[in-house]
Order: sequence, then structure tokens, then C-alpha cells
Amino acid sequence: MSSQKFIEPVALDQLLKKPHQFFQNRAAPKFGHEFLPYYSFNKGFLNLNNGSFGALPIVITEACNELTAWQEDNTDYYYRIGFIPPLIGVREQIARFVGATDVDEIVMAANTSTGMGLVLRNFLWQSGDIIIRFNTTYGTVYKTIQYIHDTNPDVEISQYELLFPTTREAILEGWQRHIHNVKRNAPKGSKIVAVVDSIVANPGASMPWKEMVRICKDAGVWAVVDGAHSVGQEPLDLAASGADFFVSSAHKWLNAKRGCAFIWFSKRSREIMLTTIPTSASYVSPGPDRPETNIISQFQYNGTIDYTPYLSVHYALQWREWIGGESAIHKYCNNLAREGGRRLAKIMDTQVMDPDGEFTLAMVNVVLPFPKDFSSSYDAAVASALTNKLLAQNMFAVTFYHRELWWTRVSAQIWNELSDFEILGNAFVSICGQIVIEHQNANIPPDSKAKSFHSYLDHPFRGAVACDPNDGLDCPRPVTATTVVPVGYHTHLASIRP
Amino acid sequence: MANVVRLQYESKPPPFGHEMRKCFSFDPEYINMNHGSYGSLPSPVAEAIKPYYALAEANPDLFHRFTSIDLIRDVRKRMAKFVGAAHTEEVVFVPNASHGLNTILRSFIWEEGDIISSCNTTYNSISRTAEYISDIPPHPEAVQFTLLFPTSHSEIIQNWRAYVKSLNEIRNQSAQKLGRRPKIVAIIDSIISVPGALLPWKEMVKICKEEDVWSVVDGAHSIGQELDLNLAEANPDFWVTNCHKWMYAKRGCALLYVPKRNQHIIKASFPTSHAYKKGGGSNFVEQFEWNGTIDFVPYISASCALDFRAWLGGEHVINDYCHRIALEGGKRLAQILGTEIIDQGQDFQFTLSMVNVAVPFPPTMSSAFEIDMAFRRKLLIKRKIYPAFFYHNGKWWIRCSAQIWSQVEDFEVLGEAILEASKEILEEFGDGTEKKTMIIEDKDERLIVN
Repeated sequence: MSSQKFIEPVALDQLLKKPHQFFQNRAAPKFGHEFLPYYSFNKGFLNLNNGSFGALPIVITEACNELTAWQEDNTDYYYRIGFIPPLIGVREQIARFVGATDVDEIVMAANTSTGMGLVLRNFLWQSGDIIIRFNTTYGTVYKTIQYIHDTNPDVEISQYELLFPTTREAILEGWQRHIHNVKRNAPKGSKIVAVVDSIVANPGASMPWKEMVRICKDAGVWAVVDGAHSVGQEPLDLAASGADFFVSSAHKWLNAKRGCAFIWFSKRSREIMLTTIPTSASYVSPGPDRPETNIISQFQYNGTIDYTPYLSVHYALQWREWIGGESAIHKYCNNLAREGGRRLAKIMDTQVMDPDGEFTLAMVNVVLPFPKDFSSSYDAAVASALTNKLLAQNMFAVTFYHRELWWTRVSAQIWNELSDFEILGNAFVSICGQIVIEHQNANIPPDSKAKSFHSYLDHPFRGAVACDPNDGLDCPRPVTATTVVPVGYHTHLASIRP
Repeated sequence: MANVVRLQYESKPPPFGHEMRKCFSFDPEYINMNHGSYGSLPSPVAEAIKPYYALAEANPDLFHRFTSIDLIRDVRKRMAKFVGAAHTEEVVFVPNASHGLNTILRSFIWEEGDIISSCNTTYNSISRTAEYISDIPPHPEAVQFTLLFPTSHSEIIQNWRAYVKSLNEIRNQSAQKLGRRPKIVAIIDSIISVPGALLPWKEMVKICKEEDVWSVVDGAHSIGQELDLNLAEANPDFWVTNCHKWMYAKRGCALLYVPKRNQHIIKASFPTSHAYKKGGGSNFVEQFEWNGTIDFVPYISASCALDFRAWLGGEHVINDYCHRIALEGGKRLAQILGTEIIDQGQDFQFTLSMVNVAVPFPPTMSSAFEIDMAFRRKLLIKRKIYPAFFYHNGKWWIRCSAQIWSQVEDFEVLGEAILEASKEILEEFGDGTEKKTMIIEDKDERLIVN
């Protein structure tokens, strides 16, 4: 009787150590449309935009449901004891995957915007310090830097203009010059922090970031790398890279559940990280009493969150092994991006941004078929119209404005094939034609430019584009009623109880 | 435009008490007496949000660029009404209360001479936040209001008034030296975490106003436990609450309330938004609508949680039951342990759904954190029942959360478990009068008190 009372809860890391049964004795399909049934996309939805939000395979969705059921089974056990070993396990796996030298070089964050914010806001900014960003720096990071300057006006921003098309050589030359100039004009004793993208978002372009980091380090400049798109799209060896900080989202190209990113920082860079945001209960003030690993403890728990996205990495890595492994995945996506880009350019009678492919991994950028004078200035109404019309046709790829041209950024993923690019190309031809006509007919006053996605809906142009993205799409409707089923104990967990 | 569908339940709810466990997914052997720390997700709510997850995967771009934003705006409207905000634009979602409070406290432009005030009972991560803010230049002064139980609401109000006035005197002196008037920012709990106790926070906020002190209210435990919030009337400067605690939303879902007059203080969300612009305030809501890709469904779940609660009979029905069980159960527990409830007034003004009872230790008992760890091992793991433990004003206490699945018998089971466990701990650790080596069994255990 007493021994029955004292059964310990099954530890979650026991659950995660076993390979998921889905991957046992089951052959993976070929890359291409054969993979579509393994994802949850709407019937006929043409997903050419993995880059923005990723996509969660069905098997991982279901594994995540189990992880979440675990939270409810014994919530106090989970949050005080249970989540810790598997979280450390995930950090260890990521550390090995990205070439960190130690598990304590990896901490988790909700997304890259959060990770970059954590790093940049932890620097103790002083008068004369300089932050280097790019015109192409991702919006939230760009504005984080703006915010730091606005709240510390004596901290200068130095912006590097990155304009495509270009070459890796030209970028490196320009970067070398820029760093040299900033260094030369910087006040004595000030620190310079450069925020470099490993892969730029718009356009989707893989940068010679390791060389750029080396240029920074040779000049004594901090190198903070926004690697949002990197993990799962390119092989990483972070300790060897020489960077000071590297942040990447696992929910983009690594198949983790949304809300999962990691920050890598070298032991040397740890001194910058004073606190998590929010500050953790385990925060110790700087000084002799503060353990060297205090920031690692802080990252373990700093407010109640759902740890499932972090723990999903465990399944994501198994999935990637099962479907063919990193090299096979990268090879397929890179080839498809290049071929697809060329095909797209042919159909639209435009050009690929990067014909030599030196910036192309799994994303490719192609000019959209607008008349030249149409693109001479940016109008968010056109951006919104492109987005809405693509969604109305049950497809999506990113569109963006760069250097007086409208472009599309297309993500090549393991569920895509060349024909997807053909469909997209034909769609753009008709969409862009429609937009030009509607824009002309709308007679928009020259000073009335829409400023954001949603202001588009109040913009006069809206009236000319009758399209509700929610209209006519085969979306599952939310439930209108529910019966209470005596759920009680989760049966799957019962099967692994000792 | 997408709206969140209101749920209609086809059957009648089970009665409150153990039968209500049907609506949750607890281990049948586990007696959950600590809902207050991390909340609990009802199974019907878990089911109700699955279609939103399906939407997120069916067309990630449509969901993240349009649908989720519309849905969350709809939910915010409902939440604003629920908490009695004057405008929907005063309420935004954040992942948890700590995040919301950090957003506020970090937004102030701190200057030399400023004062940041917390209490000895402030939640530990928020105390550390105040400490961090004081640690970095320009080093505002961190001060603390002392609140010791047993006490009463009127005593607290009296002491608070004297305390705030004294802070004002310090400020006036600084003002003379500095040639400008520094600010005082006071962090006030609506309901303290440990002990789990309702404070006269609305009066404390009023006193802050009278003394020109910013009131930042940590209402983590309030929504779903404290009735008739009516924030427009209470008028705090800032207020934050966790929907995933007493309101049954999915983790992490919290509200940040900033009345329009104060939105200019919030310089930026964390992380900073695409929509950030200098000066803050003018696009407060927009800055909180997109801060990087997260799981947005917990924010939507707040609406499903309210539907579930309405089905059970609504806020008053739920809280009347929980309050009654908390009092009856607490008294029964105190009886079994031979100790007392921390809330000693006849009217139990501190007690909503949480009750705090003293552990039967001698007064010399050590306050070492290893004792908390020992209780955790003996209760949570070995006996599968667990309340929060804490040390306050010379005693160890238990904080129990009464919920819709709780019955007074649970407190009896807990009482027996505590009697056994505290005897064991006394043997292992001694009664504090002589030095005894304390064995820490598991170095990986961390102290996380909520």
C-alpha cells in the first residue's frame, strides 16, 4: 500500500530520450509533393514562403500535443523539476548542431527579435558608443537599435547601405571600408557594436557573414549576428565563426514549433549578459557574489511560459534525420531555389536578383512584372494588394520593394517542386497586371500613401481591390459547441508509466 | 474580419468538487492544491483552441499576417470590458505578468535621485527587476516597504501612507539638491503571491496619487480570482495580470493595462516592434501587435476560457465556491496541524481563493531554502500533493489554492501529509537549536516560488 503511494512521476526526459515511434520502420517519401500529406496545409495551398513562419509537420504537431498534456498532468512537477532535464537536453543537442563548444553557450528565447533585443539591451550603453546597422536589418532589430539611440541620444547609429544586386567581394570591400571609417572617427574608449545578418530577410540573401565578423573582430568591434534564417538552412560552426553573439529561430528552417529560438554567446561575451528580460528570480547583482553562470540560471526560468516550443526541437531533429539529413535537405532546397528562380524569371520575363547564386541558399529573389514607371516609388497599398491577391489565390510568397523595383522572395522547401514556381509565375503575371489597372482607376491622390498592411484597408485603393483574404478559402471553422468528455488521465502517458 | 466564435456548451457542467476533475487532465493520483502558481488548462479550453492551431498551420501567412491579428483585437475588446477598462486601446496582451511589469519598469527614463519602491512581499522576479534597475546607471534608489503578517487592511493602509509620505520627504530633499523633481515608482501587489493575500491595493493606489507617486500594480493573481476589477474606477497608473492563472487561459497569456494618459511612458514593447516610433504612446496598441513570431493561440484562448467560465455559472458562482472551500479547508488544515491561518481577522479580508496556514515547526526552525526543497521532495514527488511553501516573519507557511475541483477533504489529506513530512524534516534538519549538516539530495533542484 505504501509503495503504491510513493510512485514518482515519470520524468519528461525519459519520455524524450526514446526516439519517436513514428520514425521507426517507416520510409520517408521523396522530396517534393509527396511530402505534402505530412504537413497540415489547406488543400491546394501553395506555400512558397517557409521563410517567414516555418511550417510544423503533422507528426511534430502531435508530439507537441503530448508535451502540452504533460504540463497539465502535474503542473507543479513540470514547472519546478520536470522541464529542466529535457530543456538542458535540447540545449545540448542545439550546441552540438551549431558547433558550440559547451551547452552553456546556448540559451533559448521565444524568437530572434527577442534574442537580439536581449543582447542589444544588455549592453551598458555609454556616450560615444556606436551601433552599426544596415538598411536591410530586420524591422524589429532595426527599431530596437533606433529605440536604444532614442533613449540614449549620445549613442550613435552608423548605417551601412546594402544594395542589391551586388557581389560578395563588393560587400566585403565596402564593409572593410565602413568599419575602418567608423573606427577612425570613434571617440576613444567607446565601444562599437555591429549588427550583421547572416541571411538578410528582404531580399532573402545569404551574406559572407563570417568574413564580415572577422573584419569586425580584427578591428575590435563587437559582432552581433542576426542569424534568424540560418539554423536548418545552412551548416553552422559558431565557435569557429569568431562572432560574439548569434541568434537564430528554430521555428523557421529547423521545423520546431513557433516560439523557439536560441542565442549563442561565447564565454567571453557572457560578461555583457547581465539579465534576462523579464529579469529572473535567480538574478544576482554584478559583483564578487555573482556566479559566472548566473545568466544561464536566469534563462532557465524567467516567467511562466509554455516550454513546448523549446522541447519540440528534440522531435524536429529526429524529423530532419528521418527525411534525409541536413546535406540532402540543403542540396534539394538550394537546387530548387536556383532552378525555380530561373523558371520564375522566364515566365514573368524579368530577372533573378542573384543569377550567379552566390547569395542563394533556399531563398531566391525575382523582379515582379510591373512596368518600370509603376515602381518608381514605394506605396504600401501595392505591397498590401500583392499580399491580398496572392492569398486570395490560395498561395503565398513574400513581396518587397528594393531599389525602385518590386520583388518576390520565394522559399524552396522539401514539399516544393519546380511546377510550384511556374504556378506562382503565372499568378504574378495576372496579379501585377490587375494591380496596375486598379491602381490607375483608383485615382489615388499623390500624398495619400498607405503606411501599413492594415491601413491598406482604409486606403482609397482598398475600394478598388475587392478582396477579403478570408473569403472563399477552405479554412477549418472554429468550433461552435463542445461536449465535455471525461478526459481525466491522458492515455498515452499511462502506457509509459512504470 | 475574423471574430472569435463564442462557445456554446451542449451539456451541463459537472458539479464543483472532485467531479470537476473531468474537465481537467490531472494525474488521477495527484491532488492539485497549488493552482495559483502556474494555473491549470481545462480540457474543453484545450479542445476549443485546436482549430486555431489548425488555422495557423493550414495557411501560416494568412494566420500570422491577418487572422490572428483580427482575432486578438476581438479578444482584447472582450478583456477590456471584463477588467473595466475605459477603452479597448488600454489593454494589450503580453506573455506573462513578469514580462508586462518589466516592460513598464524598463520604460521609465530613470534618473539620479529617482526612487523605485517594492515590498518585502513583492514577487521575487519583480524584486530582482527593481534590483537590476538600481544596479545599472543612473542607479535609482531601490527602497522597500515592509509588510508583515499578521496584520490588517487598515494597518497596511496606515503604514503605506506613512511610508509614501516619507519617500516624498526624501524626494523633496533630493529635488533641492538636483534642481528638478525626481520620480517615485511604487510596485504594489493587488494579491501577494506568498502569502496568498488580497491587499487593499485600490486604497494604496489612491494614496500614491495623492503623493504624486507612480503606481505599478502587479495583479498577476487578480483576473479570475478578484471580482469587480473595474480598472477605470480604481485608476492605477499601470496594471498587469496573468490570464493563465485563475482565468484558465493557456500559458502564456497576460494583460498589460495602461490608461491612455500614461501610454507615452511606455517607450517601446519588448522586443521592439516594427511599428516603434520615438515618443511612444501614439501607437501603443500597434507596437504590441507584432513583436516577433510566437504562438499566438494562448492570447485567443482567453476568450475560450471566459466561455468555459460562463458555462460553469460565471465569475461569482466560481469564486463563491473557491472562497468557501479556501476558508473551510484552511480552518480544517489549521486544526489538523495545530497551527493558525495567517489571515487572523474575523472577516478574512486577505482571503479570496488562497489560504495560508502555518507549518507545525518550533519557532527556532531554520529558514534555510533546503527545507523548502525537502518539502518539495516529500510532498510533490513522494506523496503527490503539493501546496506552495514559504518563510515569512519567523515561520514556515503553506499556501493552498482552492479551485473548482477542490473539496475540504483535500485539506485533510494535505494535513496528514504535512504532519508526516514536517516530522521527517525535523528529524533530518533538527529544530534549529543545534547545528546539523543539511544534505541536499538533488543539486539540480531549483527554487521557484510563485
